[in-house]
Amino acid sequence: MLWHKLGKIFDVQNHGLDFDVKLYAQGPQAVTFNDHIRIYFSTRRVDPVNGKFYSDIAFIDMDKGFKNIIGHSKKPVIPLGGLGTFDEHGIFPISPMRHNGEIWAYTTGWSRRTSVSVETSTGLAISRDNGTTFERYGTGPVLTSSLNEPMLVGDSFVREFNGTYHMWYMFGKKWNMANENEPPSRIYKLAYAKSPDGIHWHKEEAVQIVPDVLGETECQALPTVIKIGDRYHMYFCYRHSTDFRVNADRGYRLGYAWSDDLKNWTRDDAQAGIGLSENDWDSEMMCYPNLFEIEGKIYLLYNGNEFGKHGFGIAELVSA
Amino acid sequence: MLFKWNKLGRVFDPTAVKDRYFINEFAQAPHVVVFDDFIRVYFSCRPPADEHGQYVSYSSWLDLDRKDLFKVLRIAEHPILPLGELGTFDEFGTYPVSVVRHGDEMRAYYAGWTRCESVPFNVAIGMAVSHDEGQTFERIGPGPILSYSHDEPFILSGPKIRRFNDKWYLFYIAGKKWIMDNGRPEPVYRIRLAISDDGINFQKVERDLIETKLEADEAQASPDVFFRDGRYHMFFCYRNSTGYRSRERGYRIGYAWSEDLLNWHRDDAQTNMDISEEGFDDEMVSYPHVFELDGETYMFYLGNGVGRFGFGAARLER
Repeated sequence: MLWHKLGKIFDVQNHGLDFDVKLYAQGPQAVTFNDHIRIYFSTRRVDPVNGKFYSDIAFIDMDKGFKNIIGHSKKPVIPLGGLGTFDEHGIFPISPMRHNGEIWAYTTGWSRRTSVSVETSTGLAISRDNGTTFERYGTGPVLTSSLNEPMLVGDSFVREFNGTYHMWYMFGKKWNMANENEPPSRIYKLAYAKSPDGIHWHKEEAVQIVPDVLGETECQALPTVIKIGDRYHMYFCYRHSTDFRVNADRGYRLGYAWSDDLKNWTRDDAQAGIGLSENDWDSEMMCYPNLFEIEGKIYLLYNGNEFGKHGFGIAELVSA
Repeated sequence: MLFKWNKLGRVFDPTAVKDRYFINEFAQAPHVVVFDDFIRVYFSCRPPADEHGQYVSYSSWLDLDRKDLFKVLRIAEHPILPLGELGTFDEFGTYPVSVVRHGDEMRAYYAGWTRCESVPFNVAIGMAVSHDEGQTFERIGPGPILSYSHDEPFILSGPKIRRFNDKWYLFYIAGKKWIMDNGRPEPVYRIRLAISDDGINFQKVERDLIETKLEADEAQASPDVFFRDGRYHMFFCYRNSTGYRSRERGYRIGYAWSEDLLNWHRDDAQTNMDISEEGFDDEMVSYPHVFELDGETYMFYLGNGVGRFGFGAARLER
C-alpha cells in the first residue's frame, strides 16, 4: 500500500462549532454524499463536577477535495445516555454506515467506574434524517462484555459483505495495576463478530484476529476494513500498554493486515505505506484510522499527536 | 387460596456468627440443594463495610439437618468464590447465587457486582463450577455469561437456574431505569427469562414476564419457579420504586403461574406470605425460595433489611 498524505484537514481550535467544543476531534469516520463528505468525530467537554471529560459526537461537511468545510452539526447528533446507562459519559468513537436509506452508527459508549476509570460497550444508533440526528436502538448496548471478553468492548466497525454483517471491534483482556502511584492500565485486542441483521451479533469469543508485534501487552484499537479487488485490507492502531501518552516512542502507530477470506488476517505493518511525519501534527502519534471510498479513490482519515486533541487529517491511496 | 404458608420462624441469624471473616451481617437469597442427610443452603453475606460505608458481598453456604431445619450442622469456612479481578464485572460482589447439580459437578449462577460513578453499582450474571459437591467453585471465565443488551441496559441480577424439558431456564431480573429518590439513585428492575441447551449460551426471551401491581415502576426480584400439578409456579418479591426501605413500601411476596414458562398469570391472592406483626420479618418479606423435602414443601425467605438479620422458613399447609 502506498499513501499520499494530504495533511490536517480539521483543527477544532481553528473552526468553532456552534456548541461548546474547544478540545479534541477524535475518531473521524466518513459517510459520503453526492456532493460532499460528512465526517463524524468525538469532541470533549469538561464535567464541571470533577474535571473529567464527556465525549459528544459532531460532524463537519467537506467538499470532495477536502479543501473547504461547507457545513457542520449545530448540536451533538445524539444526546448522551441516561443515568446508569453504558453511554452516559461519552460516545467515542462513532462508526456510521449507510443501510437501506438510513444511516446506522455503531457507537462506543463510555461509563465511569470507581476502581478503574471506565467501562465501554458498543451501541447502535439509527439516523432517519440522512445523518443529522441519531436515535438509539434501545437504551442498552448491542455488544458488550462476555465470558472471555470481560471488559472494554468497543471500537466497532461494521460492513456488509456477501449478505452478512461483519464487525471488527476491540475487547479488553485485563486491567493492570503497575504500582500504587499510577492509575490502572488496560490491555485490549481486536476481535470479530458476525450478524444476519446488524443487531444480534455472534462473537468468536476472545479470538484475537491480529497478532501482536509489541508482545502480549500490546494494545490494539479501532479497526477499519475496506475491500479492494478481491482482497480485504485492515488498518488499526496499536501502542504499548504503559507510558504511551507523552512518550512518543510508545504511543499509537497505525498497523496493517490483509485477508482474502475475512477469516484469516496476515499482519504486515511494513506494507502499511504510511507512517509518522517529521515535526508535524502527526509526527509523534497516529491513531483512529477510518477507510472509505469515493469516486474510485480510497482515503484514510486518522488522528495525529495527542490522540486528536487538535484535529484530524487525511491521506489518499496512491497504489494498493 | 392455592398456597397457604405457615411461618416456622427464623432459621439463621448471620449477626450471631462471630468466627467467619466474611460474615458480619446479611444472609440473603437462600437457595437449597438437598443432600442425603442434610440440606445445603447457599446464601450471600457481607463483612463489615469499609471506611466509606461501602460493602462487598460474598456467597457461601451452611448445612441444615434434614430432620430439623433449625439445626445448623456447619457453616462454610470460606466463600464459594473470591471476588473478581480488577475491572471485572464481579470485582465487588457475588450475590445472589443459584446452584444446581449437573452430572458429577455443580453449577453456580451468580450475580457479579461492580461499582460505578453516577450510580452506585452495576450487575451482570456469571457462572462457576464445583467439583467437590458444592463446597468451592471456580469461574468458567473472567466475564459474565449473561450481560447487557439493547433492552436490558443494566443490572442483570438475581439468577435462578432451573432445568425443564431438557433445557436450561435462567430466570433473572433486568434493570429498566434508575430513579432519583431524594438525591439517591434507585433501580427499577423486572423479571426476565433466558433459555439454553447447554446452560452456558443463553437466548434471551427479551420481555418482562410479570405484570406490575403497585405502580408502573414496580421493582420485582427473586423469580423462583417450580413445577407441580401440571403447572409452573413462581414466587417472587416486589416493591415500590421509591421509599421502599419502609414497612409500608418495602418488599412483599407475589405469585404467578404458567403452563408454558413463557406466559405468566399473576395472582397474588393465591398466597398469604405477608409481613408479621412482629419479629425479624415485620417490615418486609422478600427473596422467596421454594423447595420440597420429605413430603413437605418449604419456603425460605428474607425478613427485614433484605436479609440483614437472616432468613426464615414457612411450610405449605397440605
